[in-house]
Amino acid sequence: MDNVCDDQIYSQLFRTHSKTVFNYIYYKFGNEEKARDAVQEAFVKLWENCARVTPEKAKSFVYTVANNLYLNVIKAEKVRLKHRPETGNTTRQDPEFLLEEREFKDKLEHALAGLPENQRTTFLLNRIDGKKYSEIAEMEGVSVKAIEKRMHLALKSLREQIDGI
Amino acid sequence: MKENYLAKWLNGDLSDEELKVFRESPEYKTYRKIAEVSTRLQGPEFDVEQALEQAKEGRRPSVGKVVALKAYRQLWKVAAAVVVLLGIGYFYVNSLETSIQAGLAQRSEVVLPDASEVILNAGSEVSYRDKSWENRRLVSLKGEAFFKVAKGQTFTVETDAGKVTVLGTQFNVLQRGDIFSVTCFEGRVRVDHQGTSLELAAGQGYQVAGGSFKTFEVAAGARPSWMEDESSFRSLPLSFILEELERQHSIRVETRGVDTGVLFTGTFSNTNLDLALKSISAPLQLGYTREGDKVLLYAQDTP
Repeated sequence: MDNVCDDQIYSQLFRTHSKTVFNYIYYKFGNEEKARDAVQEAFVKLWENCARVTPEKAKSFVYTVANNLYLNVIKAEKVRLKHRPETGNTTRQDPEFLLEEREFKDKLEHALAGLPENQRTTFLLNRIDGKKYSEIAEMEGVSVKAIEKRMHLALKSLREQIDGI
Repeated sequence: MKENYLAKWLNGDLSDEELKVFRESPEYKTYRKIAEVSTRLQGPEFDVEQALEQAKEGRRPSVGKVVALKAYRQLWKVAAAVVVLLGIGYFYVNSLETSIQAGLAQRSEVVLPDASEVILNAGSEVSYRDKSWENRRLVSLKGEAFFKVAKGQTFTVETDAGKVTVLGTQFNVLQRGDIFSVTCFEGRVRVDHQGTSLELAAGQGYQVAGGSFKTFEVAAGARPSWMEDESSFRSLPLSFILEELERQHSIRVETRGVDTGVLFTGTFSNTNLDLALKSISAPLQLGYTREGDKVLLYAQDTP
């Protein structure tokens, strides 16, 4: 049977989930160092418990460990985001567009920093990592409805911030 | 607009009708821009393969980078000392034993960290490390207890005579003096005793007394008799029966002219002392007198 103690299975789980764990903690606290440590902590713990945790449970296991690591411990810093490098055939290189996009991005980043931690995390996991509401609900240990609520409120406050209301 | 319609819009869950209304709202343009631009963002670089290497080395996460700032040198020392002290404190707290006793004529109920239940018979004690339970699932037992293990959990019960490893859900362990008895009521347990190891299925029991061992069977669905306010014995020396009587009724028992090595099979009441004394004395043809919390058992034919 598949076993997390199997090096290949473990590596595969790591490749599938480590980036999201990293982003998850980063969106929460805006601290890159802590996010890297959280990945290490979560996956080292997964290894230590590999006999007990099935591959199906591994995902929620690493999120839970990462999440509990900094519970009420660190103060959130500003989350800094970058532009994803333009891929392939998109050629929207005209300076006006780029400038406008940059300005908008700055506004968005500023507005994101003002969001409550749980709304920001939910919003970014969905937008950047493409996580479904149900997946985020599982990570956060709340209902899908609660995630929809966070998403709705996040969009609403971001819009109000950016439009200067 | 329906509840959380913004979230539903992003997820493509709005009906055509709703979408039309939303698109005509003045806020729509900004919402669309937010949705678009946000997908073109990314967090800091994360090298998956490098992180995997690091995780495989099993290195603990660093406690922050060490920066050689002179002004902060002292602070680092203090911080290091605090970390060391916290570490010591942590291990100290982790090594603390939680101990629960049931006094004479008493019973105690204990809930272990994994929600398993332990019911202690009179004059018994269990101890375990509460804080480090996850790493050290070990319960030490002196005396007798019934274990009702939470589903899917495992631990080991350690006694002076042997170890019982939980593979199942309900079992009784007794270890007093040279008597060691394990009864499995549900599921399976493994017993390790003086180099031998055997597994007991539900309804099976294992008993060692005076150096010899035997297995026995109990009725399916039964519970240890002491939990039904009775004490039952199979071929155990009278001396042990009398000790149990002392524990259950908080009395002192003395004997005169009685062979306490004789084996006794039977049951006595844990709530009614007179009844209990009759149950013991009648089959062995003994007489008894009772004075407060002192009981004297004597052979009938001795004057």
